[in-house]
Amino acid sequence: MEYYLVILLVYLGTDLLAAWGLNLEFGVAGIANLAFIVTIAAGAYTYVICTLSSPAAGGGFQQYIGGFSLPFPLAVVAGTLMGGVVGVLIGITGLKRLRQDYQAVAMLVVSLMAATIVSADTSFLNGNAGVAILPQFAPLSDQDPEIQHWGYVAIVAVACIVGFLVLRRFTDGPIGRTLRAMRDDESAAAAVGKDVVALRLMVQAVGGAFGGLSGALLVAFIGGWSPGAWAYVETLALLTAVIVGGMGSNRGVSVGTFLIAILILQGVQFLPQISFRIGLREDLGWILLGTLTIVFIWVRPQGVLPERRPKYGRSP
Amino acid sequence: MELLIEAIGFGIASGAVIALGAVGFSVQFGMSNILNITYGSLMTLGAYLGLFLIDRGASAWAALGLASLVVGAVSVVFHRALLAPLVRRGTRAFALVIVTVSAGVVLQYVIVAFAGPDAKSYGEQSGQTFRLLGFILTASQVTIILLTLVLMLGLHLLLTRTTLGRAMRATASNRILAQSCGINTDLVSDVAWLLSGLLCGAAGVALAITTVSFDFTLGPVFLIPMIAAAVLGGIGQPYGAMIGGLVVGVAGEVASAYTNPEYSVVVAFAILIAMLLVRPRGLFGAAWATRRLAA
Amino acid sequence: MNGSARPILEVSDLVKHYGGVRAVDGVSFTVQRGTITGLIGPNGAGKSTVLNVIGGFLPPGSGHVIFDGEDVTGKPMHRLARLGVVRTFQMARVFGGLTMIENLLVAAPAQRGESAFGILGGKRIWGRQEAELLERAREMLRVFGMEDKADDYARNLSGGQKRAVETMRALMAKPKLLLLDEPMAGLSPSLSKQLEELFLNLTRDGLSLLLVEHELGTVDRLCSKVVVMAQGKVLAEGRMAELRTNKEVQDAYVIG
Repeated sequence: MEYYLVILLVYLGTDLLAAWGLNLEFGVAGIANLAFIVTIAAGAYTYVICTLSSPAAGGGFQQYIGGFSLPFPLAVVAGTLMGGVVGVLIGITGLKRLRQDYQAVAMLVVSLMAATIVSADTSFLNGNAGVAILPQFAPLSDQDPEIQHWGYVAIVAVACIVGFLVLRRFTDGPIGRTLRAMRDDESAAAAVGKDVVALRLMVQAVGGAFGGLSGALLVAFIGGWSPGAWAYVETLALLTAVIVGGMGSNRGVSVGTFLIAILILQGVQFLPQISFRIGLREDLGWILLGTLTIVFIWVRPQGVLPERRPKYGRSP
Repeated sequence: MELLIEAIGFGIASGAVIALGAVGFSVQFGMSNILNITYGSLMTLGAYLGLFLIDRGASAWAALGLASLVVGAVSVVFHRALLAPLVRRGTRAFALVIVTVSAGVVLQYVIVAFAGPDAKSYGEQSGQTFRLLGFILTASQVTIILLTLVLMLGLHLLLTRTTLGRAMRATASNRILAQSCGINTDLVSDVAWLLSGLLCGAAGVALAITTVSFDFTLGPVFLIPMIAAAVLGGIGQPYGAMIGGLVVGVAGEVASAYTNPEYSVVVAFAILIAMLLVRPRGLFGAAWATRRLAA
Repeated sequence: MNGSARPILEVSDLVKHYGGVRAVDGVSFTVQRGTITGLIGPNGAGKSTVLNVIGGFLPPGSGHVIFDGEDVTGKPMHRLARLGVVRTFQMARVFGGLTMIENLLVAAPAQRGESAFGILGGKRIWGRQEAELLERAREMLRVFGMEDKADDYARNLSGGQKRAVETMRALMAKPKLLLLDEPMAGLSPSLSKQLEELFLNLTRDGLSLLLVEHELGTVDRLCSKVVVMAQGKVLAEGRMAELRTNKEVQDAYVIG
């Protein structure tokens, strides 16, 4: 039971980091990045190929590029940076002045394309089988299990706190205002001098970095990563958290993430076995998520905890 | 060289199925200006319904017909009950995409909940093999190519020779003007969604027949080549989608013959992204992609 | 007003095709520094298209736009805005999810809070500038009589109020040349009058304006020079009083 709590907390922490990143891109800046999961995958894979030793040294069971045997902190930083790089690359596909729905579909396609290519090319990142790392809890691997588990929770918690402080710099203040203006009307923002292209790329770099960090921390915990972990539907879970929680609002998105990740995705595990079919409960989870998204877009698009309105009031 | 010709032959067969789906997608977009990502899961529904019927002894044709009808009906209801009201309330275009993606996921997992996640197969449906001009095609592939040609011709005749078809074209190009001419645009819209849903369901069954086995990811995976074909031909332009389907099908098969079989889908992805970045209006279409969504 | 100094804006042989039609067909005119120039003509004359091209919203087919001595033809909108060419839109485009005062604040140029240094440094870096901007914005709202709506979401404003926000926002951007597309439409007569006074005051401080306007009374009061367009071409250029007697101009207004 106690270990289950550890799992929940680590998942919650990494999900928060990811949701904050997506909220910055989508809720604040208006970029419908349906390929966000790819930045998380980039962070995870980068962490793995940084911490593993070379493929041959590992016994040749897995084929992958890299293998630098770096320590935990460096590998996490590398994962974060790669998330940012991938974020920018995704952002480049969205730069042409297309209608927003076309942009969204283009990003969805990028997400599918990335998963298919990684799956198919076994020499790149071990294809569909994925890559596994041992040992888990790399920074604490020579401590006893109690310390390993709760130590890792502490690491994730610190990452979240630092991440949130950095996040707020981008979602509040003048830059937050400028991003929201860009979200509301790109042309009008350009007409008052905002370099929309530069802003978008910056946002996707920062958002992607959050995704990368999330992926790196997650993979160090669960010990492996494969294309199955980042199917395009995973972005939908994050998107639901952002939309249900409150687009554009950090608090709202945090609440939304808690609701989706913990209550729903974990909650369905506790339902009694309805039939002999394994995995039915996960299916229910997805059905519930999809339905929630549709319901909220219909009834309450601003989410449970909407963006707060800044009040300047009248001058004294 | 022989390899190339064989690949082209396969490409024509898969291109026919892609064209079938792409035309349906194009008709929906042309009528309602919505990129309906649920289309993929609706194809999956068609495939599974067809399987359900065949397992209970229906002939392949009956299964095809019935499954298509059901998917057509579901499409109309989906549009009327969910999409049309959202559009009326001024929901933004990308929010609609998110809605259709979500609905697609819901439908997909409902199918899984009932039918299970393992791979299914229609069993041996191929029939004998023919050699035609160096192409090697099975009877079922030839049937599907012919079926696609017949359906395309039927659609063409409908659009150009009937009053309904003219009403559809009028509504698609300018809804308000069509209304002021006395056309019942809601009804015309419903018919368009029914027809495109029929094509969608038929495409799903056709896909299931031509692939050895399939599972619930059938829809989303094949949706991309269909969107690629539709965009290539000029989205909203059914005729362009037919040609686009052929191009995407052949390009995919040729690529997979010379490299990895998985890459046929990647080629479609690449075509789609390239088109969106370079020439969103496609080869034949109007400037849909850069136009603002009419509220 | 120094007529010998270089004009702030020179448009030469501007051509723009729009949907198969020559919407702008070889248009040339100038705007002198510190003046208000009117762009008038019947509907469909191409006035808004000219404004769109000068403002960088549309790329020109051919021709040149020289601003303050520099060739800015085809430069993107945000670059032009930073050089000092700011435009308003015919259909008021406010930032709906921002409050009215935020709409003004966001338009101020060169905000420290938007640079990398400012973002990471936080309030310590941009706090003072922000307070100054707030004062400017409040003053602008006072001038327009809209202080009580400062914290209202812009999407909830009336049409006329949105147009006022358009104009206020353009002014906050510290322009050298303002391109205005029917700024008086939908405004109350008293507010119109205030705006006219404001514009005249601003030209005394060196601001130049290019105004597309249908209300000929406004044009008469404000514009020292008027450019008349019809069917994509310039018919005549000169002072309002002279143009009233110009036969071609009269014909254009009757026919077009």
